[in-house]
Amino acid sequence: MNRELLVGVSPHLHEKDQNIERAMRDVLIALCPAAVVAIVVFGMNAFYIMAVSMIVAVLSEFVVRKIFRRKTSVNDLSALVTGLLFAFLLPPTTPLWVVAIGAFIAVGIAKELFGGLGKNVFNPALFARVALMISPLSMYVSKFVKPFYWRHTGFFSNVITSIDESVAGRIVYKGITGNVYMNAVTSATPLSLMKSGRMLVDTVTGPTPVGATWLTSGGRPSLWSMFLGCKAGSIGEISILALLVGAAYLLYRRTIDWRIPAGILGSFLIVMLIAWNNPVYELLGGGLVLGAFYMATDWVTSPSSKSGRWIYAIGIGIAIALFRLLSPWPEGTAIVILHFNVIALLIDRYIAAPKFGALKKRWINKLPVSP
Amino acid sequence: MKEQGLRTFKAGIHPPYLKELASGKAIKEAPVPEEVPILLQQHVGAPNEPLVGVGDHINLGQKIGSSEAFVSAPVHSSVAGVVKGIQEATNATGQKVKAVVVTPDSNQPQFSGVSRDIEALNAQDIVSIAKDAGLVGMGGAAFPTHVKLSPPKDKPIDIVIINACECEPFLTCDHRLLLERPEAIIAGLKLFMRAVGAEKGVIGIEANKLDALDGLRKAIGGSADIEIEVLEVKYPEGAEKQLIFAVTGRKVPLGKLPSEAGCLVQNVGTSIAMYEAAAFGKPLYERVITLSGPGIKETANLKVKIGTRISALIEACGGLTEDASKVIMGGPMTGWAQAELSVPVIKGTSGIVVLTESFVDVRDEHACVKCGKCVEVCPMSLMPNYIVTATQKGEWDKAEMWGALDCFECGCCSYTCPAYIPHVSYVRKAKAEIGAAKKAVKK
Repeated sequence: MNRELLVGVSPHLHEKDQNIERAMRDVLIALCPAAVVAIVVFGMNAFYIMAVSMIVAVLSEFVVRKIFRRKTSVNDLSALVTGLLFAFLLPPTTPLWVVAIGAFIAVGIAKELFGGLGKNVFNPALFARVALMISPLSMYVSKFVKPFYWRHTGFFSNVITSIDESVAGRIVYKGITGNVYMNAVTSATPLSLMKSGRMLVDTVTGPTPVGATWLTSGGRPSLWSMFLGCKAGSIGEISILALLVGAAYLLYRRTIDWRIPAGILGSFLIVMLIAWNNPVYELLGGGLVLGAFYMATDWVTSPSSKSGRWIYAIGIGIAIALFRLLSPWPEGTAIVILHFNVIALLIDRYIAAPKFGALKKRWINKLPVSP
Repeated sequence: MKEQGLRTFKAGIHPPYLKELASGKAIKEAPVPEEVPILLQQHVGAPNEPLVGVGDHINLGQKIGSSEAFVSAPVHSSVAGVVKGIQEATNATGQKVKAVVVTPDSNQPQFSGVSRDIEALNAQDIVSIAKDAGLVGMGGAAFPTHVKLSPPKDKPIDIVIINACECEPFLTCDHRLLLERPEAIIAGLKLFMRAVGAEKGVIGIEANKLDALDGLRKAIGGSADIEIEVLEVKYPEGAEKQLIFAVTGRKVPLGKLPSEAGCLVQNVGTSIAMYEAAAFGKPLYERVITLSGPGIKETANLKVKIGTRISALIEACGGLTEDASKVIMGGPMTGWAQAELSVPVIKGTSGIVVLTESFVDVRDEHACVKCGKCVEVCPMSLMPNYIVTATQKGEWDKAEMWGALDCFECGCCSYTCPAYIPHVSYVRKAKAEIGAAKKAVKK
């Protein structure tokens, strides 16, 4: 019976199909419906953005880990997830070189510079999105277009390489097939329409409809367009239906905790109901659903206890609602979740359910008193 | 998988149980080995000193090691034979302990003890019989039984629970004992109840052993003070604190013993050993263990003499399969993987499980991704992920805050961890460091 036997500490069994790749694969699968809608609504440009983002994300991880002499971890698929999620946050007009820079910021800086998957403080995709938003490149990531704008520019031939605002009154998108004059197709997102509409109500006499031909309900997209994805916005956030289909899959696979989206959407809705600010419209608009199901649920950057997750989620929901109501910006999902990524560290440090058999049922963690 | 409406504890996991590999195999006697190293420490507590010398002839059941300490249990010879040597041997956890190595006689006698009327025994008698017979918890922890039977005076025990959960995958020895020896189990339970003055006895059994209920009910007969509580099949249902909660709804305070909750928990095997010690004066020198797993040619439930090397038992089962890759002493969730198969069986050994390559899912440890799955499954409601990170940083006060000292190493966290973190090994390190620091402060 002379043979090499394995040793190792207990337990000697491991749950089948429970590993990081599986979770990442689940997220990639869950994002597919929204990716398809993005291509249908925004044309092949959405596809190019996703492809470039994912490729650069994987390459950045590979190269940066080589530089830091860390073991290659491309197999865990997390770079692909970050790449796709980052692409989802971009407007369909983002030039591909800007996409590439952002994908590098996400994986090379927000993830690997912090120490790699698990050590990152911020959600890498959100970090890169906000980094671009406050950088000199912000003009490239803030121009939204109408759904199905590719009917004017062609489904395939609309790869945008830069944006030129120097011509008065015009926004010129320079594509590889030549300049495209996009004034006709540029559009505000539903939430910015709401925002500007409300501000006009406050300052001028009565509501000012912001007219555009594709808007169907009082100058804004109808609730159905909002739900199905026929609206201006970042490429991955538009179709609530597609996002919910993917989210259902993630919940079924128990890859994400239902408490986080439930807490975010629930508390958001309550604040919006109290403020009576068109709650359903707000719920369907912007990146709220994408953020609640796919960004805030990121394992690494959310708290790890159930109680902590409730606090985190309710905090995010209230903060996004207040941001949308009180700030001059129409949308704040990304900024709010990034802030709560840091707060999550504090929540985990101080909030924990009482241990089984604890005499004092404390929900606040205290360091043991040294004897 | 989940049975609705059955009592259980909070959290936990549902590993593949694979009990069917061995549950149908009736208990058989294992062959007497050629050499029997009997370890002098098989229990939690003080080690024993040998009572015999090299060359002595010893009898079956003779006491060969004992200690003056209260928390200790004497050791008896499992064979009649000659003491070949008293030397150091390695136990299943890799520690060096003293062992009496016996060469058995070619003709082994039947055990001949006393015949006692167990009804006439009082509480004190039962406790001293348990101590004299070297009884320890046979579920794995091997805590001396007479210590458990002597709770503090101010903590009266009103419920004795027989732990018939056997929640570890693969293991079926308790299941077989429940099927084959229900009268002995109930008799043992009654002795335990008398020893601590408990009014009620409960058999806590997982719902995957329902075929044992008929026999148990028959054995209970008209005793109104004994109940059967069928529990959900979940790991670790048989952990002491979790079982007490499932059966009684009481929580044992952190860091305290079950007597604090008015409960005494004893394993099925210990109960039978108690009965045999009381009725026949038979010390604990043999036990039933399960040999199972995909890596062993034939599975079995064997009555084994303490001191039998696991290599001999594996041979008795036809040997290992070609793809066998891990031999575990105990169950696969809490047992110890063995590099050498010369390790002897001790009182607390409940099984030998052999896994094959496809079962052993070994991967490099990844940094924690804070998925929180370990927190979700932890039956003690601890934060295993933060115990690990605190241990990695050497922050022992934080490791204690997250619950390192309250962990009983069931392994649910590592089982479900997508990052393949060996939480249990970090917890052991943290426990050792925190313990050392506390000792240093006391001095």
